[in-house]
Amino acid sequence: MSLLSIRNLHASIGDKEILKGVNLEINLGEVHSIMGPNGNGKSTLAGIIAGNTKYTVTEGEVIYKGKNILDMPVDVRACEGIFLGFQYPVEIPGVSITNFMRTAVNEQRKYRGLDPLSGAEFLKLMNEKKAIVEMTTNLANRSVNEGFSGGEKKKNEIFQMAMLDPTLAILDETDSGLDIDALRIVATGVNKLRRPDNATIVITHYQRLLDYIVPDFVHVLYEGRIVKTGPKELALELETRGYEWIKEELEQKA
Amino acid sequence: MEKIVQQFRDIQPTMRKNEVWRHVDFSALLTDELSLPQGERQTAEYHCNIPDLEAIRFVTENGLCHQPTLQTEDGTIISGFRNFSSQRPDLVRQYFGKCTPKENPYLKINSDNYTDGLFAFIPDGVHQQKPIQLQSVINAGHGLFLQVRNLVVVGRNSHVVIIHCDDSYDHSPAFANNVTEVYIMEGAQVEYYKMQNLNNQTGLLNHTYVAMQQGASFRSVALTLNGGHIRNHSEIRMLGEHCNVEAHGLYLNDQEQQVDNYIFVDHASPNCHSRELFKGILDDNARGTFNGHVLVEDGAVKTEAYQSNKNILLTDKAHITTQPFLEIYNDDVKCSHGSTVGQLDEQALFYIRSRGISERTAVTMLSYAFCDEVLQQILLEPLRNNLIDLVKKRLHGELTPCSECSLHCSSPCNGPEANFHIDPSKL
Repeated sequence: MSLLSIRNLHASIGDKEILKGVNLEINLGEVHSIMGPNGNGKSTLAGIIAGNTKYTVTEGEVIYKGKNILDMPVDVRACEGIFLGFQYPVEIPGVSITNFMRTAVNEQRKYRGLDPLSGAEFLKLMNEKKAIVEMTTNLANRSVNEGFSGGEKKKNEIFQMAMLDPTLAILDETDSGLDIDALRIVATGVNKLRRPDNATIVITHYQRLLDYIVPDFVHVLYEGRIVKTGPKELALELETRGYEWIKEELEQKA
Repeated sequence: MEKIVQQFRDIQPTMRKNEVWRHVDFSALLTDELSLPQGERQTAEYHCNIPDLEAIRFVTENGLCHQPTLQTEDGTIISGFRNFSSQRPDLVRQYFGKCTPKENPYLKINSDNYTDGLFAFIPDGVHQQKPIQLQSVINAGHGLFLQVRNLVVVGRNSHVVIIHCDDSYDHSPAFANNVTEVYIMEGAQVEYYKMQNLNNQTGLLNHTYVAMQQGASFRSVALTLNGGHIRNHSEIRMLGEHCNVEAHGLYLNDQEQQVDNYIFVDHASPNCHSRELFKGILDDNARGTFNGHVLVEDGAVKTEAYQSNKNILLTDKAHITTQPFLEIYNDDVKCSHGSTVGQLDEQALFYIRSRGISERTAVTMLSYAFCDEVLQQILLEPLRNNLIDLVKKRLHGELTPCSECSLHCSSPCNGPEANFHIDPSKL
């Protein structure tokens, strides 16, 4: 049984249909990359898996760990092990990262029937996970994402992913706005978290990130459908040839 | 009904014709149950449970003060108002009513009938290390109509912190028409922190009049946690050049409560700065008003005045009337004013919940985050930490046990908190 199975997913915002029949199967231990031009539904797909209610699913199903999760609230999905790394992480003045993460970790532990972490345990965990993304910032007095540079925000997303240890992580354009050092650090972080008992979806429209995070599968999402799936070499081909030839292939088929 | 109560009620309709008082109707709280204080005392000593706060504490209990006059070596005098008026009528006469408007009938009722209050005199050049804490306690066990009068005089280049708490200790109805006058001499600095935690049957009309001489500074933070109908009516006058005013407020009200903040800042002299930040969260059927008036007089060039009021309404029934208002008579000024009324940020809520945090907890976290900006204006650290905890407790309500709350107060409200041993404020 696959970890995530998306079947004939149609979704819209308001009157605008964005996803027009997406099919996708993801198994434990796999890294999938979803590529495609801007405005073709990549972030919509990520948002729907995570539970963003601003999208309306009009048809199809999303089966995660054998359950249709479309009616499950976003926080319950997170407790079930789904993590979304945001393309634009939200600034939350007045909420410290420490408090935010301690609450998240302990609410997830509670959901799984585990005791909350003690202060000392939590600090130890936080220091371990900060190291994964080479985070040197003192998080004590900093509000979530407030005043962070683009790179710090993305590192903070991967730090949160490390803290929460999800089964399925979806990274939405984590590479956008990163300089080459930050890109390396973020990618290294993701690789360190890769295990046979979890899976990752990397959404990007540059090949660059995939120099560091090597996917098992590359999918092209175009006009609301996954129109092509291939091995990691597909990403390279997209980088050199662009998306035009895929459009042409599609037209020929039609 | 007591004569004074009736008198107070009767002037309300006329007062409401004035824009400033338009939304003020205390009638529901001004009942037959209210009587004038007879010196009711429940206990000789009141404690304040703020850890690490060493303060000179003065208590008015049901409108009367029972402590002896305190005079320190540096010349500071702290006394019950009634007591001091008989000891030094000259000093009281020099200030009493000198910075209050003539035309306010509510004020006049207090001036004619006040029972007692705090008198604090800080001579020139004294940096008063310990804050002066005034606790106005209401606990008579029956309905009371109170009128407290406080007078604070701070000498040249002195510094003092005043903490003013209005607390109900029982569930009896009460109404307080209190007046505080603060005189700040040249170069003196005053921090004035107000805490209001009254029961739902209690009304409070809290007048504060501040007169500032050249180079004086005044910082106030008013925290309204609970109360049937609380109105903070403040008038601050900068009479000399280079004065600085920081006047802030935070109100958290629910059920059928009403909270009003009226603040008038008079830039009567050049080169003065004022900044106001008032924020509030209203839940259930709570109502509120913000009425901010900055007057920049024609000679008051190089004025800087900023005014902001931000509100979150958690329900469709909660209601806020906000009127930021600048009145400027010269063109060499920097001024701004603004107000917002809204709900919690949907994007931020989604972000928090996407980490596995329940909706309820996410709402509490964001509500606190909204309040934090005002609380950070409290410079006195032990007080700030304590008020942060009080606000957190207020926001989580009585419904969630401490162990499940996300806010991690440093002093849990019930039972031992076993899971977290580190002071979160130091993390």
